[in-house]
Parts: sequence; C-alpha cells; structure tokens
Amino acid sequence: MTSRPCKGRWALLTALLVSAAAAQDRVPLCAACHGADGNSETPGIPSIAGQPKLFLETQLVLFREEVRVSPQMQPAVKGLSDREITRLAEHYAALSARPARNEPADPAQVKRGMALAQELHCGSCHLPDLRGRQQIPRLAAQREDYLTESMLAYRDNRRSGGDTIMAAALYGLSGADIRALAHYLSRLR
Amino acid sequence: MIRTAVGLVALIAFGAAHAQDKPKPPPAWHQGKPPAMADSKLAPHAGRMTETPRSEIPIDNLKLPPGFAVEIWATGIPGARAMALGDKGKIYVGTRIIGRVYEITDEGDRRTSRVVVDKLTQPAGVAFADGSLYVMAIDKVLRFDGIENNPNDQPMDLTAKFNLPPLQHHNWKYIRFVPDKKLYVPFGSPCNICEPTAEYGQIRRYNPDGSGMEVLARGVRNSVGFDFHPKTGELWFTDHGRDWMGDDGPQDELNRLSKTGLNFGFPYCHAQGVPDRDIKKADPCKDVTKPVALMGPHAAVMGVQFYTGKMFPAEYRDTMLIVRKGSWNRSKPFGFDVVNVRASADGKNAKVTPFMTGFVDAKEGTYKFSGRPAYLLQMPDGALLVSDEQLGAIYRVSYAAPKK
Repeated sequence: MTSRPCKGRWALLTALLVSAAAAQDRVPLCAACHGADGNSETPGIPSIAGQPKLFLETQLVLFREEVRVSPQMQPAVKGLSDREITRLAEHYAALSARPARNEPADPAQVKRGMALAQELHCGSCHLPDLRGRQQIPRLAAQREDYLTESMLAYRDNRRSGGDTIMAAALYGLSGADIRALAHYLSRLR
Repeated sequence: MIRTAVGLVALIAFGAAHAQDKPKPPPAWHQGKPPAMADSKLAPHAGRMTETPRSEIPIDNLKLPPGFAVEIWATGIPGARAMALGDKGKIYVGTRIIGRVYEITDEGDRRTSRVVVDKLTQPAGVAFADGSLYVMAIDKVLRFDGIENNPNDQPMDLTAKFNLPPLQHHNWKYIRFVPDKKLYVPFGSPCNICEPTAEYGQIRRYNPDGSGMEVLARGVRNSVGFDFHPKTGELWFTDHGRDWMGDDGPQDELNRLSKTGLNFGFPYCHAQGVPDRDIKKADPCKDVTKPVALMGPHAAVMGVQFYTGKMFPAEYRDTMLIVRKGSWNRSKPFGFDVVNVRASADGKNAKVTPFMTGFVDAKEGTYKFSGRPAYLLQMPDGALLVSDEQLGAIYRVSYAAPKK
C-alpha cells in the first residue's frame, strides 16, 4: 500500500508524531487514518474497531519490531512501549465495528463469497460469525478494499511477519474469488 | 515432489502466483484434517508478544516435588524459548514470531536483558561454543564472536554454508553443540502430514562453519528438543506427533539415536507402531526405530535436559527432565508441564512422572492455561532454568533437603 490515502494529513501526522512522543497518546494519530471511532473511511486503510485485543497488540508489536513491514505504520508506532501498545489495543478492541459506507451489496457476489467462506472453513479460526478471536482478526465489517488487498498479499506471499497459515489458506484462489469473499465479509456485522 | 494427504505443499512456497488451477491445500497445520472434523475450532494457541509484568506471573500455581522450590528468575523477554549459557555466565534466549534474540545478565539480586539481534525470521536456535554465539533463524545463520565482551559485536553471516531449505513450517530450530564440537540441527517436516522431500524430516550435524554436513536421523516430523546422554554421548530427542487423528494420538515421542542413519517412521508410522491414516504404504513400520517413551497425545514435547548437577537429590542424576508445552489439537488440555523421565542407557524401561505442574488447571478441562513451559537449562550450581514462552519469563528451580 502507498501513503496516498493519507497524503493530505501528513502535516497533521508529523505534528502529532512529535507531540505523541511526549504525550504518550497516539489515539489522535491513529484516528487520522483509521477513523475517529476506529472505523476507517480511508481507502486502503483497515478498520481497527472491534478487533480482538491480542490481534491488535501482536500486529502493533510486529510493526514496531519491523517484522511486519509497512512504510506508514513503522513511523507511527516507533518508540511505543509494550504498555502503550496494550493500551491502544484495549482502546480499539472496545470500540464497535460497523461496515464502511459501501455501495449496495451485489446479491450474486454475496452468495459467491458466502459459499467460498464455507468451503474454505474461514469460521474454524475466525469463528462462525467471522468476528475473530485472540490473535485472529475480525473479518466481519472490515473495509472491502483492505480485505481484497490483504488476501491478495497473503496469496502472493507479499505479506511479511506472522505465520504462514493465511498464505496457505488462500492458495490457488483467483482474484475474482478473493473479491467475492471481500464483498461478502465487508458487509457482515 | 511432496505428496500430501490433500495437496502439494511444495507449491505453496514456489507456485502461488501461478496456482489458479491447482488443488488448494489447507494450511500446513491443517493437512490431514478429516471431513468429520472440518468444523472443529481447534487452532494453535496465540502467543503473547508483549512483556508480562512480574506481578502477573502466577508463580504460586506451580507445583514441584517436596524439597524443590521455584522462583521467577527473569521477566520481560516475550517469546522466550531455548536458552544457551555463555562462557562468562550470560544467557542467550531465542524466540519465534517476535524475531529477537535476548541476552540475559545475572546481576546477583536481579537479571537484566537486552536484545542482541532482531528482525529475524523465527530465530529459535541459539548455541554457544568457544566464545561465540550461534543464532539460527529459519533462513539465516549468524555467529557473534566474543559477544560476552563486546555487546556491539557485528555477526558473521554463515547462512550460505548451511544450505537451508526454503519451506518454513516446522523449520524453526533448536540447535546444540556437544559433545564432539559439531552443531546438531533438526529440519522438520513442512506440514502436519506429508511425504517430505529429501532435505526435510531429519536431524543433521555440521562443523561449526557449516561444512561437513551429515544426516543423522530420518523419518522425523518436528523435533525441537534434544540432549546427549551423559554416559553414552548418544543423542536423545523429542518429536511431535501429527494432528487431526483424534484426542488420543498418535502420541509425541522421546527417541534415542543409537547409530547414524536410523529411520523414526514419519510419515508412515507413528509412536509405537501406529500406521498413518492418510499416507499409506505396505509394511509402514518396517525398519522403523520405535521411541524410548511415549510422551502423550499432542503434548508438544520440547526441551530435554539430562540432569548431571549435584543440587537435586541423587535419584535425579542422569535422568531426564522434559518439557511438554501443552496441546492444542485436542478437546481437553494435555501437557503444560515438565516431567521426569528415567530410562536405562539402552533406552529400555522408560518411566515418565510429573515434575513441574500447575500451568493449566487440569480439573477444569478447559484451555485456561497461565503459562507454557518450553525449554530447560541446567546451571553451573545445579539449579534448573525453565523458560515460559507464553509469559516471556524464566523460572529457576532449586532444591534444598528438608530439615530433619
């Protein structure tokens, strides 16, 4: 992903980064891209509201450790202590996820996505309501564009950090399959 | 080719971009999952990547035999796994997902830690020899010369000499030198159940510089712990049994390598002669070396330490302490403990008894565990260090004879 979605906000980001180091409060910085309530209105940027606490915590640590590489997230988490990471994770885990303001659902895509989700047993790990658990992220109500790009990245081994499980889970899916899955998942609550 | 129960594992790494028409294998730990278990929600437990404060470590839950005591020795080292003791008393600790190797310094009344190297892909293997720290990640081998004297030491990259294969699953390492100054390295099978290609499913040894590679054992699924018998010098290693064949097995193994070239059965023959359900061949257990001891279903058997110290009671001399990190592929928890294993030097008459328990509430029958023991290290004074990967901590187990 590029930094384009937040381009107009870099001045704010920089200012917040400088003050965040002292203030130890990065919620406004997170909000600049991920939305005031953790539900992102920014193309390509995920919603983080209602994600499992441990998932958020783990990803923030992996960004900080540069095990998961992101030119946007690396500066945003630089210098965060474990305690601050846990506090951010708790904050966003407690917020309610809501679907992004998408155009109306395409019934054919929803049907195809639902069938694929069942065939792939997404619910085994992400749980049947696809709201995630522990280290496993919530998929329901995530942004469609982010889901699509993430799944493509996993499938094509472009996603660094963490386990190899998702790459294998999506192995062999077509781009059209992945778009249908993302369409379906993004409209769940 | 790797033939799996359901798909082609080798293609996960090499062919994903061209894979539109190929069959879809499930994740490597999911292979061999039968249709009846398709909706099972069992999944590997989440690790914790953040520091656990000392006050949140429930040390009082841990139980040991009479006369033994346990204390929290070090904290603040998320993902702590195998430990290696330096020549000057520093301890090096490997990790998996968080990508770090820690150095612990004993300051007497407390321990301090620092990160020696980070951003590695699962640097689980640490070993120390002749003043040098060896770190083995899935895709990298580094040597830090004189690290105990020079904290800013820049490593030598030995990766090319070791010729590491590309698949990652089950290829995080446990490594050890001794007793012949060679480095022992396992290469796990990159799947739950499959026929691995020639570079996987084995234990090798190398000269310290990566030359002189020999394959010592084959038919190994995922060995991440071993030690050398104090009398015979033979390698005794643990091996994880496969998943998705039910709650009761096949059980994890403790094996003994009495000579080079033995076959330990994977993927055709498990435990004490259980033929595989998915990968079959005629006479699957022919010429397979059976384990010294069965270590329990899905126990996740890890570190092995032959106890040679003088602190513990005499009956522990030359017996093994073995960690069972604890099950996930089972409806109720099993393991989450350290056991004592006694066997004769030829591997006969093995007996497994509990040693350190209390990480999980066995009565509850649920996966509410407070920690996950992983590896052991016998210290020069005879005390035993136990790493807890879940809580990022190290415990010290000591013994004092009860007062008469």
